[in-house]
Amino acid sequence: MSDGKKILVVDDEPDVCTYLSRLFEDHGYAVRCAADGEQALEAVRLDKPDLITLDLSMPHTSGVRFYREIKAHSDFSSIPVIFVTGVTGPTGSPADTERFYASRRQIPPPDAFVAKPIDPEEMLGLVRRLLGQGGSQ
Amino acid sequence: MSENALVSAAKLRAVEQACGRLFDEVPYYISIQDREFRILTANRKTWEDFGDCLGEFCYRVYKGRSAPCPECPVARTFADGCEHSSQEKIFDRRGLPRDVLVNTRPLRDPSGQVLAAMELFTDVTVQKELEHRLHDSLTRFQNLFDLAPCFISVQDRELRVIEANRRLMENFSWRLGGRCYQIYKGRSEPCPQCLVAQTFQDGKPRCGEDVLVDRSGRSVQVVVHTAAIRDPRGQITGVMELCDDVSEIRALEDKLASLGRLVGGIAHSVKNVLEGLRGGLYIGNLGFRDNKPEDIRAGWEMVERNVARLSRLIMDMLYCAREASPRRLPVSPAAVLQEVFALYAERARQTGISLEAEADSELTLLAEPRDIHSLLSNLVGNAIDACCSEEGEGKSYRVKVRVARQDEQAVIQVEDNGVGMDEETRSKLFTKFFSTKGPFGTGLGLLVAHKVVTEHGGTISAQSSPGQGSVFTVRLPLQSPVAGAAPTATRGTTQ
Repeated sequence: MSDGKKILVVDDEPDVCTYLSRLFEDHGYAVRCAADGEQALEAVRLDKPDLITLDLSMPHTSGVRFYREIKAHSDFSSIPVIFVTGVTGPTGSPADTERFYASRRQIPPPDAFVAKPIDPEEMLGLVRRLLGQGGSQ
Repeated sequence: MSENALVSAAKLRAVEQACGRLFDEVPYYISIQDREFRILTANRKTWEDFGDCLGEFCYRVYKGRSAPCPECPVARTFADGCEHSSQEKIFDRRGLPRDVLVNTRPLRDPSGQVLAAMELFTDVTVQKELEHRLHDSLTRFQNLFDLAPCFISVQDRELRVIEANRRLMENFSWRLGGRCYQIYKGRSEPCPQCLVAQTFQDGKPRCGEDVLVDRSGRSVQVVVHTAAIRDPRGQITGVMELCDDVSEIRALEDKLASLGRLVGGIAHSVKNVLEGLRGGLYIGNLGFRDNKPEDIRAGWEMVERNVARLSRLIMDMLYCAREASPRRLPVSPAAVLQEVFALYAERARQTGISLEAEADSELTLLAEPRDIHSLLSNLVGNAIDACCSEEGEGKSYRVKVRVARQDEQAVIQVEDNGVGMDEETRSKLFTKFFSTKGPFGTGLGLLVAHKVVTEHGGTISAQSSPGQGSVFTVRLPLQSPVAGAAPTATRGTTQ
């Protein structure tokens, strides 16, 4: 059902990495983890993933910087990226946050957005849709 | 009355008749008096308002007195033959007071002898009343001007302060005619975008914000309002500038903003913990589903880890929110350090970090023992984390804590040779909810340390640079700080 698609999970929280890895693996995806932007960039170069989930609020290396580099790179700019973050807008609603990122002109809007705490069904649905595997939500 | 005078009075009556009714018609009180201040004659207006006063003493008629007034202008006219004037308050037949201007002049016989004195009262009651009201409203205006809880000035086109209220005079290096920009900011030239100048240009009121510097050098944040002052023809003669001190409001806003960041940071932390808990449950459930004990164990460990993290976060939050002042009990920092080292011994052993102490065991503080424990465990825990965060092959890591007495202070230094911090990280240390440690930090540890130190009247600072490790230095007074003494936090320097 997943056609062995590769997902790169970028999050500095090992537990979140483990959680998402297991979630995706359990649904037939091949998963790789990276704890910061640098590791993530290396992972993308080594083995181009089909999709990336990216935590934007990592302290050491900015997730935004990694995202900008990926989107600027002709080989990688088409990889769909899902933003995962605990930072939400003034009312805490994901819709607000999406508007917030969309309003920040210096970065292109993400392909999708998931707020922590992550709803596994929502996440899987997004992944399937972005990878063109039907079951869109 | 002497015989001569009676004769003269008869002559005067003749004069009066000659003047016809003019004497009666004038809108003043006119009377003619002899040397004893007896009224020989008076005009109709006097009769109307003061009754039949012929032959009565002036002072009795006008003031109800039983003796002549001191400084009587009639007496002076008799004495020197000249005209005199004064201001008096007299009372009419109904007892109503009237303010009058008094003029006296002598009436002479053909030989030049002063026969009598003419006394003329001009009723200025209405004018006096207006004068009083004007004075009252001026006083009221001046009081409002002076007591208004803001700085008010009136300026001319050259931005010279031509009027200033008391508050302005008291708070700024003020001199009449000084330029606004000198007084308020110590500048030598007008500020760019001067609101007063703009109001002079088009007469419209303006509002803005600015920062002034008062005479003690303190920055004062103000909201500025300007308004044109016009003469009766509508010409702008000056501009009033009103500066409202909003420093405290701004400080409060800053506090609220940092509280907002704190709450946001905590929410972020809680979300991550929640994520960890969900992940643990998810993996545990996979283990049950597939009958894989290693997954069950892994999930369970994740749950345990995140529950512990949540407990730490909540303890730190509770500590940050605590308002009670700490107790003052004798505490030995060296003994507390031993407990803290015991707490971290296992972790240090596993990670190969050596814990070293160089502590004066005689030193005793007056402090809240739990707080000192919390302070040291936060700092030592941070130091261990800093060592764990670096991937230095073959490097031997150590955390060294010194406790020593310096004058009247206990100095506690926690030094590590771990990952270190850059300037940006260091500058955020004690002020904001901040963690570089992802899952391992609550972001509150140094806020807690800072709170402990300031509540005990001490200071905390940090020195660090990337790759060089960090030194946190805490100074606590050995004596209880004087009540009300403001604790301070200092920021360290980057090596």
